[in-house]
Amino acid sequence: MRSVAMGRRQALVGLTGALLAGGTAQAAGPTRGGTLNVGLDNDAKTYDPIFSVQFTERHVLYLAFNTLVKYGPDFSIRPELATSWETAPDGKRIVFTLQPGVTFQDGTKFDAAAVKWNIDQRMDKTVNSPQRQLLEPIVASVEVIDPLHVAFNLVTPSPVLFSLLGERPGFMVSPTAWQQRGAEFASQPVGTGAFVLKQWTRGSQVVLERNPTYWQAGLPYLDRIVVHDLAGSVIGVQRLLTGEVDYVDQLTPTDVLPIEKRAGIVLKPIKVGRWYFLQWHVNAAPFDNAKLRQAFAHAIDRERLNEITMRGQGSVSDGPTPEGLWWYDPNLKFYQHDPARAKALLAEAGYPNGFEYELSTPQVTVFQQINQLLQEQLGAVGIKLRLQPVASSEWYARVVAGTTNLTPTRWTQRADPDGLLYILFHSKGFANTMKYRNERVDALLDQARTVYDIPTRKRLYGEAQQQIVTDLPMVPLIFGAEYAALRANVGGFEWIPDEIPRFRELWKTAG
Amino acid sequence: MTQPGVLRPGRWIGVAVIAGVAAVALAAPVLAPRDPYRSSIAMLDLPSMAHWLGTDDLGRDVLSRVIFGARASLAIGFGAALVAMLIGVPIGLLAGTLRGRIDVALVALIDLFIALPGLVLALIITAMVGANLRNLILVLGVVMWPPIARLVRGQALALREAMFVEAARATGGTPLWIVRHHVWPGVLPVVAAQFSISVSFAIFTSASLSFLGLGIPPPAADWGGMVRAGYDYLAINPAMSLAPGAAVSLTVMGFYVIGTSFK
Repeated sequence: MRSVAMGRRQALVGLTGALLAGGTAQAAGPTRGGTLNVGLDNDAKTYDPIFSVQFTERHVLYLAFNTLVKYGPDFSIRPELATSWETAPDGKRIVFTLQPGVTFQDGTKFDAAAVKWNIDQRMDKTVNSPQRQLLEPIVASVEVIDPLHVAFNLVTPSPVLFSLLGERPGFMVSPTAWQQRGAEFASQPVGTGAFVLKQWTRGSQVVLERNPTYWQAGLPYLDRIVVHDLAGSVIGVQRLLTGEVDYVDQLTPTDVLPIEKRAGIVLKPIKVGRWYFLQWHVNAAPFDNAKLRQAFAHAIDRERLNEITMRGQGSVSDGPTPEGLWWYDPNLKFYQHDPARAKALLAEAGYPNGFEYELSTPQVTVFQQINQLLQEQLGAVGIKLRLQPVASSEWYARVVAGTTNLTPTRWTQRADPDGLLYILFHSKGFANTMKYRNERVDALLDQARTVYDIPTRKRLYGEAQQQIVTDLPMVPLIFGAEYAALRANVGGFEWIPDEIPRFRELWKTAG
Repeated sequence: MTQPGVLRPGRWIGVAVIAGVAAVALAAPVLAPRDPYRSSIAMLDLPSMAHWLGTDDLGRDVLSRVIFGARASLAIGFGAALVAMLIGVPIGLLAGTLRGRIDVALVALIDLFIALPGLVLALIITAMVGANLRNLILVLGVVMWPPIARLVRGQALALREAMFVEAARATGGTPLWIVRHHVWPGVLPVVAAQFSISVSFAIFTSASLSFLGLGIPPPAADWGGMVRAGYDYLAINPAMSLAPGAAVSLTVMGFYVIGTSFK
């Protein structure tokens, strides 16, 4: 045995082991300091919570602001600016106790008067917040009892209020700053949050810095967060590999292929994926024709959509709710893949020689893939779709305006079943771009949002969802599989099922 | 310029390339091993015996898509060059054979269009009118006519000066007769060369437009669009972008070499 060679070999093995371990080790406990670089395909138009609509605005809102309550990883409601609450026996009054000693980033005190002002602004017709329609059916008035106690007087008992106060309507804005800054508030927002928005260069980046007077002791750990605008997930992955960004999300199962086994990168899959569906205007020709819609439903092979666009890692959607949420109904019945039946229905619908239409195709990779597959599958039964490309910044605006009829779309789940089901499928829902109107569904949704009892709500939502999918204001497609990818030295990350990452409590170790 | 035209090697290479691409485009349905539009669950496979260039993100055969892509490219190339000729040659001839205010006005028009950067102009117009095969041919034709007009005008001017003397000696030939019998034969070689170069420019520019998302809509087997779609997957199956990219380069080069070999 040559002891020198053995020693060298052992040293090499030891060194390699140490390098590997160093590369894949998860970050240790919380460490102070550092800058987190986030890569985001940013479509933000405003950082004023009262007017926020776009998906990616919330990434920054949850940093600059706090909400009255927050969501746990299972969508349970937990305290934040409100430490506790009491519901009156008739369910029509809820008194919230507020966190003491909290100030906004401009020094204004956070108290019951500020809460009242925030809700009043959102309900004010002249302010015209998109959240008015969410709050108006529920909140009659907000009453200041004392600086630390505020009461919500409700129009009707509503469990939905709690989930609303954990997202957009719940972001507490500084009344002083909002009134002073006017239109400038959208780019210079002031909340009670752990980070202060210092600078927003549209199309480039958002810079946030640690709030030194943040009320949660010990937080935040990071000094700075920079949100870099990305042109897409591929660039995001590349910049993650070079270390230019520490976090990237909205990654599909194909996007993560190059980084699946990389040292130094950690993948975090989200269990409740985005809901993809194909929608149309159901109140006017040609899609007011039920047999035509059923032909579409039977022609589409959703299993194959999942296999090809999600590498089989998503799941087929029969309705709006994925497994894992408490209002999921395993007994939902949907139209099965049956091309022969689809052809027959197409003829019965009055299109024996085929049907042609334009399918809006936003410049988002997943939609491009889904649309091409839909075109293929529907083409096989005589439905010819022309794919119409549209810039992603314009796409949803056109859907809302009604100029786009047939389009794929996707939504993240809300913390309360009423959240998504109401805004999409109630005749008064603000996101009901399908122009769907069914009185029975309206009645079921109206009733379910006033009942606090879970089993009853579950039954009502089950009936509503079955009616909806039978009526086909849209064809449900799949629930997506998505990932966030982080550098291994970033710690503390956990997904919330609304797919908005929470960066407030992250930390970064050296390396 | 010193060698006899027919013996220049560049021309023959160019002809070979173009003949090859045209043959591929014509024989595409026979040549392509698979249906270029048919998806499969073998997504992003690397090149193999089953798929010589691998598959794309929807499991489609890349080789078949590249072969069919020749059709769109040649259609746009020839179509746009033809449109450019149909606009540019008459304007150039008019400017070069007529004198005075018409010439001045047309020259101003030509210069105005030449000053605008071609790709940017094409981008803007396509974004406004929408991208499909017909619009692309028209837009690219509109972008390409000014250099042709300028070239034809120059050639026509030179010939007109020479012919003028002869026409003065001749017994009252009309301008049209002079153009047809003396100016046009002199202009023709220039036009032919420029046609080839225009095809090359059109194919390249349409590939650029497709790459930027303003080309023929999916699922078209269009080289520029394929390069764009493959961009997301360079680390997984590079053939998805590299193959159509090479096809564009080869075709563009072939037409360009032919065109310049005339000069």
